[in-house]
Amino acid sequence: MLRESMQSEGKQVALAGVTSGFDQGVDVAHATELLEFTEAVVLRDAPRLAAARAALLPLLGGAGLVDAAATVAAFYGFVRIADAIGIPHFTAPAGAELSGLREEVGIDSFYRMQGAAR
Amino acid sequence: MSASAFAGSDLPVRADLAESQERAWQAIAAPGTWLDGQRRLAVAAEIRHAIGCAHCARIKAALSPTGVAGAHDSLGELSAAEVELIHRTVNDPGRLSEAWAQSVLAQGMSEGEYVEIVGIIAMVMMMDTCTRALGLPERQLPAAVAGAPTRYRPPGARRQAAWLPLVEPTDTVEADGPMYPSPKAGYIYRGLSSVPQSMRDYWALANCHYLPGQAIYRFDLPAMRAISRPQTEILAARVSALHQCVY
Repeated sequence: MLRESMQSEGKQVALAGVTSGFDQGVDVAHATELLEFTEAVVLRDAPRLAAARAALLPLLGGAGLVDAAATVAAFYGFVRIADAIGIPHFTAPAGAELSGLREEVGIDSFYRMQGAAR
Repeated sequence: MSASAFAGSDLPVRADLAESQERAWQAIAAPGTWLDGQRRLAVAAEIRHAIGCAHCARIKAALSPTGVAGAHDSLGELSAAEVELIHRTVNDPGRLSEAWAQSVLAQGMSEGEYVEIVGIIAMVMMMDTCTRALGLPERQLPAAVAGAPTRYRPPGARRQAAWLPLVEPTDTVEADGPMYPSPKAGYIYRGLSSVPQSMRDYWALANCHYLPGQAIYRFDLPAMRAISRPQTEILAARVSALHQCVY
């Protein structure tokens, strides 16, 4: 979805950054601050989260900050449904094979993929 | 704690977002398909309690999640199987396995109860994460609504593609109620489908936090949120990666 959304704006993205960090930057407005916000939420680091929120607010505005929080929160739900129900993960919704994408993003190194390889 | 989500916030919270959370809390407090309102709220309380479980922290830190000795720190209202399902799904979802899911079911939990509890976990974690991310207090749990669960099992539910039964879009029947916005709905949409009410409750909430289902694959639509689509997707991708989610 990230790649598709970037392509819709005529941009490219190195998807490995999703797992290993966007060292070379990424052409998304305020990406550094958005990623810091995300990591602070997931790590449950309250002081870091307060700082990340303070940094994002003037960049996104209040409504943007709310939508950033809502998006991060939404994926707390999605990942838990996917992981606890064990939905198939080898194909995309349209049935496309995802092995190349998994390798590019770095998903093949995740615990469940390591287990699948054993 | 506050009596309603976003209470006291100076932020311009979308009305549909705030309303979706209030509706979701009321749905959690009401009788479900396999659990009554009191038990559903006990699940919600255990979800919040699980965040601080020392045993979960040891499991999370271990190279393998299996074989870590100890017991979960629970509130004592639910069965051991329910506590295991809640704590592991809350704290280490990326390392769950089919064998683990079967072990939870083997302790006497029905597939319907399992799926309904997963739906509550997904909803409570979504709402609590949203308010926490904005620096707001957790909403108080509502009072339970009396009544009996419906115990409705869709006739089309089959365990085939996933660890738990799914109702494929072609297998729905009228008695299931509204299910899919499209016959091409992805597996993430089908995840809770063996408990249709949980599925509907979840997606009513998720559509207001992420994007409406019909807009997810439409990159040509005007912006629906106050952040751009690439900004939305970089947040989504990073959350999934940090959870080691392979989907």
